[in-house]
Amino acid sequence: MAVFSVTKTIACNTFREAVRDRVLYNLLLFALLLIGGAIFLGELSGGQEEKIIVDLGLSASLLFGVFIAIFVGVGLVHKEIERRTLYAILSKPVGRGQFLLGKYLGLCLTLLVNVLIMGAGVSLAIAYVSSGWNPLMIRIWPALLLIYLELAIITGVALLFSSFSTPTLSALLTFLVFIIGHLSADLKSFATSLGGVAARWIFTGLYYLLPNLSHYAFITPSAHGRIPDATTLFFAVLYAALYITVLLSAATLIFRQRNFK
Amino acid sequence: MTQRTSVWSLILAVLLGLGGVIVLARWMEARPKDTVVAYHEEPLYLNGKTAKRLSLAFNGLGADWYWMRSLQYVGRKLVNNQDSQGGQHDLDDLGALDLRLLPSLLQVATTLDPQFLAPYEYGAMILPTFNPDEAIALLQYGIEQNPSEWRLYQHLGYIYWQRRDYSKASEMYGVGAKLPGAPKWMAEMSARTAAEGGSRRAAREMYQHLYEESDDDQVKQVLERRLMQVDSFEERDRIRRALAAYIAAVGHCPASWRDVAPLLEKLQLRLDPTSREPLDPSDAPYVLIQEKCEVDLSMRSRVPYK
Repeated sequence: MAVFSVTKTIACNTFREAVRDRVLYNLLLFALLLIGGAIFLGELSGGQEEKIIVDLGLSASLLFGVFIAIFVGVGLVHKEIERRTLYAILSKPVGRGQFLLGKYLGLCLTLLVNVLIMGAGVSLAIAYVSSGWNPLMIRIWPALLLIYLELAIITGVALLFSSFSTPTLSALLTFLVFIIGHLSADLKSFATSLGGVAARWIFTGLYYLLPNLSHYAFITPSAHGRIPDATTLFFAVLYAALYITVLLSAATLIFRQRNFK
Repeated sequence: MTQRTSVWSLILAVLLGLGGVIVLARWMEARPKDTVVAYHEEPLYLNGKTAKRLSLAFNGLGADWYWMRSLQYVGRKLVNNQDSQGGQHDLDDLGALDLRLLPSLLQVATTLDPQFLAPYEYGAMILPTFNPDEAIALLQYGIEQNPSEWRLYQHLGYIYWQRRDYSKASEMYGVGAKLPGAPKWMAEMSARTAAEGGSRRAAREMYQHLYEESDDDQVKQVLERRLMQVDSFEERDRIRRALAAYIAAVGHCPASWRDVAPLLEKLQLRLDPTSREPLDPSDAPYVLIQEKCEVDLSMRSRVPYK
């Protein structure tokens, strides 16, 4: 029980710190984007306001979330080392794995609040452009769940890199993983088109090793009112849970070996 | 220099600088543009497949961007044409505007989001006037990606109908009619286009159904005018009958519409209460051409000429 309590305390502190660092100020920019979109798109979109509001809102949720996951995620461990607060924490009965897990969950909580508020904002913007109830207001939520799962994976990647590298390099590498993760299909077709066996193995290995984020790209169908079926959602949750477990385990493994003296 | 003076001089620099920028911008806008630069259009850097690859998870947003660019592109061409030549164009007769980028813009939009139906509808309305092959290719791609969307068959049928390929148009309506959710009139349209081809009844039904199904204001405007045109064709036939009856009775063409007004009223044509001229569906008076004893649209009319 004490293990969970420690992790929970670290997670809550991480969330509080993110709020104090004005991370949620991005919501203001998001709100301006949606209000501007809702007001001006009517003139420009040729009757496609609802679709464009969903595309704009969900894409912004993903993009802002990715930036938070990367830039806050890579600083989670580094800041503690730089401020030397890590020594104080680890001198108490807190395991390094617990510390990392708490940090991770804290940022995930921040991202959850962020995604929930953004989702509510998109629903309200849809209601505004439709002048009332529209089924899209509900139908976007499965896509938001997939966005959140993608952000949780990206946060895990950022935490893994930050456990052994500098913040700048970690941010760059995490961003590259985000890009490659959406190009997984190309990686696979590239591997099959290669002549050499070794090269084919390398690219096939990379395809399975890197997160396949295309499973979480459901913004475009969601703008047409489509919702993913239960099996797709189940596998997406399972894949994210497994991948995050791998990322956090690897991060803990590396972090345990680090010498802070 | 005191701190206060330094602050005021910085404020002055900002204000003067901004003033200078505004004056310069206005001067640059007023300068006559190099015609080569003004009319040169760069082709799109990205084709649909590359754009889709580069858009990562944001392909829907990319499709919206290209969709809005398509609308702005046509709009800008219309405005430039009206400013430079005073020309008025209908959205379904844009051949003179050189919309060479429009097929590519719509193609990228639909490759990025193949389920986005608005670009197909827009393409079906606008592309056939200057590039029917591109219009057909766009709609065929749409059908390939959305095989259960009967509306796409309706639009493809409309394109073939415009090309006077009535058997192909009928075939498209027929295939679309069998899809789930397709309205009954799709099968009726299939039979009508096969039997009557280019008849006014077929045209009216075609425009009416497209009008009812469309959400796009611009497309609705085009169809409204096409419906007015069909009405006007019928009205002009009735006016011709009245003119023929007048000639048969009196032996010459009427000097003005007033002379045939009772006959026109009998044929249920709308007349202007003061001038007694027959009015077309856009409320402009028809013109009487004395030499040929023929009726024509006036310059003020919003009814499409062809």
